[in-house]
Amino acid sequence: MQSIQSKLGTGLLLSLIIAFSALWLLVSFNLQFLAEEYIASRLKHDAETLLSSVSFDADDNLMIDATRVDTIYNQPFSGHYYTITTKTGAMRSRSLWDEELISANVNTGQQLKTLQEGPEQQPLLLVSAGYKKQGQSLTITVAEDLNPINKNIDQFQYRFAAIAFGLLLILVFLQVMILRNSLKPLIKTHGELKSLQQGQLDKLGGNSPAELRPLINELNHLLTIMAQRLRRSRDALSDLAHAIKKPLTVIQQVTAKSDLPKGARATLMKQSDDIYQLTDRILKKARLAGPSHTGALFSFADDLPSLIKTLDMMYASKSVQFTANITDNITCPVDREDMLELLGNLLDNAYKWATTKITLSVRINSEIHILIEDDGPGADPEKMNELSKRGVRLDEKIQGHGFGLAIAADIVSDYHGSLSFKQSPELGGFKTELTLPLHQVV
Amino acid sequence: MRLLLAEDDRALVDTLKKDLQSAGYAVDVAGNGIDAEYLGNEMIYDVAVLDLGLPQRSGIEVLKNWRSKANRLPVIVLTARNAWHERVDGFKAGADDYLGKPFHTEELLARISALLHRSSQQPGGQLHAAGLSLDEEQQTVTTEDGQIHKLTGIEFRLLRYFLLHAGKVLTKSRLTEHVYDFDSEKDSNVIEVYVRRLRQKVGNDRIETRRGQGYVFRDSC
Repeated sequence: MQSIQSKLGTGLLLSLIIAFSALWLLVSFNLQFLAEEYIASRLKHDAETLLSSVSFDADDNLMIDATRVDTIYNQPFSGHYYTITTKTGAMRSRSLWDEELISANVNTGQQLKTLQEGPEQQPLLLVSAGYKKQGQSLTITVAEDLNPINKNIDQFQYRFAAIAFGLLLILVFLQVMILRNSLKPLIKTHGELKSLQQGQLDKLGGNSPAELRPLINELNHLLTIMAQRLRRSRDALSDLAHAIKKPLTVIQQVTAKSDLPKGARATLMKQSDDIYQLTDRILKKARLAGPSHTGALFSFADDLPSLIKTLDMMYASKSVQFTANITDNITCPVDREDMLELLGNLLDNAYKWATTKITLSVRINSEIHILIEDDGPGADPEKMNELSKRGVRLDEKIQGHGFGLAIAADIVSDYHGSLSFKQSPELGGFKTELTLPLHQVV
Repeated sequence: MRLLLAEDDRALVDTLKKDLQSAGYAVDVAGNGIDAEYLGNEMIYDVAVLDLGLPQRSGIEVLKNWRSKANRLPVIVLTARNAWHERVDGFKAGADDYLGKPFHTEELLARISALLHRSSQQPGGQLHAAGLSLDEEQQTVTTEDGQIHKLTGIEFRLLRYFLLHAGKVLTKSRLTEHVYDFDSEKDSNVIEVYVRRLRQKVGNDRIETRRGQGYVFRDSC
């Protein structure tokens, strides 16, 4: 889905462009209209001045008092023109030179405003008005070149557009800043989710805006509940294991010393051993956290050395050289207890069989790849295939590579990963290949 | 060798104590965490077998408290909680070995013996010193001339303690502490009797008497 920021940003940008364009159009249109109205009213005044300066002689010929006419009407193509038409003839301003204005006859008392092209392609605004003087009706048409005013209007429009564009940019910039600022909590939460996944956080921050707070509170609540549930069920299972194993230990101790017939004793021992191994495996499977992010996460930097130290102590009679090949600073988003159980069982197997050397290498990209090799006797290929089969049945046991590997296989299948066993080409012993897919939140 | 068994299950303690005693250990039992911590700090034990699920104070806590007081008592953790993270936490708290329940007594004995050898920097297997070799299973000693001598319980305990602390001056009271448990009648004069008997079996000059100090087992003759 598109991000909120780009969605809001596009919407705001579009609405700003529309608003500014509409404003620009409205202002330009109105300005043109006002300018024309203003010129028209001036032309009407000129027409009335002309009217007062014309007269008819005895022969009904039109006369004009040149002194009263504005000199601009005498300069050729000055942009100011007039034509006075009567029934008998017409009179033009000197400025028109040889050109003519197409003037309609307008009835007395009426007025007409038209646009037409004048001399030298000048766009002209014409105002024609019909009058009656000395009993004669006449039409006075006064025209003015719109070029100068159009030029001014163009200039204004250009400036207006430039300023509007500048304002638009400033507004867009401001919007982006405002958006960024108000989306900061979301970005922070996004980062926090990442840290949560990597186990650097166990809770989302409470310092969030009112709109996000219910969501974050709810998430935190769920996290707490899940962590509590996991803790509780793990504790209960641990107690159960404890409770079952204590009497089993006594049964075994007593059986070993009893004076029962040998066969009966062996059967009892085997049965109690089976009960122990079955419960152990089922309980271990039940206490897996699986690919969720509620508990503490495994750290190769802290937990692996402790595990190796533990194994070194347990196999103190052997001197096994353990080499880990791990890229620095890798975070492993897998539950600590699950990973310890998984690696513990696999490495325990390696320690059990190795003569002197064990290597472990870890690679993490979209999956975790772990390779464990030892220089022990290995196993024959047929048995290896059997071992790598996923979901080995509960009662199935592979001689010598007992229960630990079955538990490891359970964990791997819980994480939808894969586990395979081969002959190690370098060390000659057992080679365990483990792949766990990573669950990506962000 | 004096051993502290911290375990709350009476039935298990009963069988285990007998097995440990017949393997030549003086065994004291602590039924809860507080007692276990107190006894462990007495500095008279050579090894402790510690259950993690003790009442009143958990085994991990007991272990951590010992270690925080610089008590280096070798500890084998015995527990039904055998998930790997629990083992790792146990070792982090300062355990020296780990055994999950249920277990076979033979394995526990082998681990105790290995741990004792390790903590006195002896190689694994049979205890050898000054031409003597001690068979811990048979509780016999083989001298340089190949003669095998059977040892009584106390003789075995005493000789093993000498062998694991060869070359050191051991006072009578220290020997008494490490050979007898709380329930035994303690009389340090009896030690003289046992030392005399041991001398008859392994040779007079091996155990030297330091007047006013105690005994020294001579590493080489």
